[in-house]
Amino acid sequence: MRKALAVLLALLGLTALAQTQVRISGWGGTDIAIVNGLLKEVVQPKLDKEGIRVVYEPIEGDYTQWLFNALSAGTAPDLFYMDIFWSESLFATGKVEPLDRYFSKQEVGEFLPNLVQAFTYQGKLYGIPKDFNTLALQFNKDIFDEAGVKYPNQQDTWETFEAKLRQVQSKLKDVAGLCVVADFARFGAFAFATGWKPFDEKGHTVLDANFRRAFEWYTGLVRRGAARFAQDLGEGWTGGCFGGEKAATALEGAWIGGFLRDKAPNMRYGTTFLPLDPVTKRRGNFVFTVSWSMNAQSKNKEAAAKVLKALTSPEAQQWVLERGLAIPSRRALANNPYFQRPGKEPELNRVVFQGSTSQGGVNLVYPFKFRGFGGDWMRPINEALQAVLTGQKSVDQALRDAQAALDRLTGRR
Amino acid sequence: MRLKARTLEGLYALFLLLPLLFTLGVFFLYAFLRAVYFSFTDYDLFSPPRFVGLANYLRLFQDPLFLKALWHTLAYSLVVTSLQTFLALLLALALNQPLKGITAFRTVYYLPSVISTAAASLLLLWLFQRTGLVNQALSLLLAHLPHLLALALLFALLQGAQVLWEKRKGTPTSFLDPALALLSLPLALLGTYALDLLGLVQVREARVEVPWLPTSATFLGIPYPLWAIILMNTYTTIPTFMVLFLAGLKGIPKTLYEAAALDGASPWVMFSRITVPLLRPVLFLVITLGLIGTLQLFDQVLFVGGSGGAPLEATITLAYYVYGNVFPSGAAPRVGLASAAALFLAGLTLLVVLLQRRFGVSERGWT
Repeated sequence: MRKALAVLLALLGLTALAQTQVRISGWGGTDIAIVNGLLKEVVQPKLDKEGIRVVYEPIEGDYTQWLFNALSAGTAPDLFYMDIFWSESLFATGKVEPLDRYFSKQEVGEFLPNLVQAFTYQGKLYGIPKDFNTLALQFNKDIFDEAGVKYPNQQDTWETFEAKLRQVQSKLKDVAGLCVVADFARFGAFAFATGWKPFDEKGHTVLDANFRRAFEWYTGLVRRGAARFAQDLGEGWTGGCFGGEKAATALEGAWIGGFLRDKAPNMRYGTTFLPLDPVTKRRGNFVFTVSWSMNAQSKNKEAAAKVLKALTSPEAQQWVLERGLAIPSRRALANNPYFQRPGKEPELNRVVFQGSTSQGGVNLVYPFKFRGFGGDWMRPINEALQAVLTGQKSVDQALRDAQAALDRLTGRR
Repeated sequence: MRLKARTLEGLYALFLLLPLLFTLGVFFLYAFLRAVYFSFTDYDLFSPPRFVGLANYLRLFQDPLFLKALWHTLAYSLVVTSLQTFLALLLALALNQPLKGITAFRTVYYLPSVISTAAASLLLLWLFQRTGLVNQALSLLLAHLPHLLALALLFALLQGAQVLWEKRKGTPTSFLDPALALLSLPLALLGTYALDLLGLVQVREARVEVPWLPTSATFLGIPYPLWAIILMNTYTTIPTFMVLFLAGLKGIPKTLYEAAALDGASPWVMFSRITVPLLRPVLFLVITLGLIGTLQLFDQVLFVGGSGGAPLEATITLAYYVYGNVFPSGAAPRVGLASAAALFLAGLTLLVVLLQRRFGVSERGWT
């Protein structure tokens, strides 16, 4: 008996040795169930033949801190999530493996070009986008019906959209048209629509006349009776106001779908594109995206590349998409039947998916990253938005202060 | 060979101290020396550290954010330490009275210190919303200001009349006589009610909408959001210090008070000549702990300034400045700069405590 056990153990040990382990990490929360399901049903069966075993280590708590520390200490996993927001400061360290060696041009070409561009730094590709999000406009059909106002649609400009919000707010006293937040992550899309760019050729940030036009419109929504400041409604994001029926519209990405499923399962809502700038007749947008990236110090890069391919394969993305969990990053999935299904969530996902495509040959869609500056860059703008929205500063004063702070950060013009 | 008893005893002591010495060495001494080293380099967690001399320290004093953090830290520390020491002493004196059911009060007043800072910060966010309880209470107060004024005026008139009446009868009375107030107050309330019915006093239209948190407006040089944190923190730390004071008060022999009472000392004389001098060691402990604790304020800034929506410039403190530079959101870590700031904070704490000892309350006496 004992002998048999020993033999069995030895065999197990041998098979374990023959296998290559690839460690992958991402954040915790709802992602744990998703990735575990994906690994079990799609990824691992593919890799079993190759003798590769994927070990998944989700991180609860502050993922960025953990990853920076792990990469610095040399204990990071072979593959990890990388958020576009802080990606550039990691690319610059040389701790992330460029992927051009493992992926052919053709393979890369199957992903949405805007996303590939977002993870390209100094001509090299540092991550394969796993999914992404853009901003869209959600509206509560019942509220619009009750107020007798037409639904927002994709022909709306800032002016016609605002007029609708004003009507809703004046007809239904206790519902705001929109609840605005003092956050560049929402306001920025409108600034982009005017043609304003976060950085000029010299890498400086200039808050020009175009930026000012968007800024005045956005911060004036509250004063003109079309919106309320989110904090005054006790909320931190536009989705919170929307879910609690405190506001008729919201400016969020596909993540609001899951939230509304829990918070307001019976809400009849529709989704459309962000309104157009009345002057340029264009719309801007953000791309929020996360990639799978490889550790430059990984000991099994070849195996890791195979896992990476399996994780972003068409089958894997189809699996994720069908569960309504995230928007896939592959071009071919644009014509996926899922998007054409009736219902509020497929519509939401379709609009968000299309939000990443530029229109008329002019790209006004920018990834949610600001060189290596990150939050330091957004702070002066957010504080300017907040100061004007709460009536503490004039637009002139707020923009002057923000420009001074940005000059200190990005260099003087 | 046999060891001498003394040597053996010393070895035992060392052996028992080993775990402590080990953690002290690794987590304090080694970490401290590393921080000192990094503060002279441009270390960013990834590339090998390069020596830059005093550049980090110079950069600190050119950074407006750092200077703001320094001012906030010092102002906060001063205000909170004085407030909490004074109020904790007051509370301890009250709870040291031989009253029925005093234990229940002690428990109730100790409760706030059990609240975690995260939960307390959440409460604070609710209280100080623009439509929150603080603004609503202020609105209510302002709206009923005419009533309150009328009430105060009527009370003063009635009480004054009664006192005059008593004085004419030759009874010695003071204006604050509770027995007379027992009659004046209900009468004043009735009077106010009557005035309201007659329409002479009306509720005013008042709506206070002060944005307490999303603002950088200041009062006495300290931003509103920081005042909110001051209130909250004083509220949650008073109980801890109150317990220390209570312990100190219990240690003062009753015989001293009895002797003083026999000599005809007033309560104030007993307090200032017996209680305060004998509480000096506790007072020293409370002030020192208070200073050290407040100089390192961090959590509330993270909750209120980071995710609560208050501008960072209005709440930033030195400890948060250090954290914000090691893990800046979306940017490369600035460990060198953060180490320099951390060492500055350590030096500042030491200096403040030494100054307090030299010029404030020390263990032995007032100097």
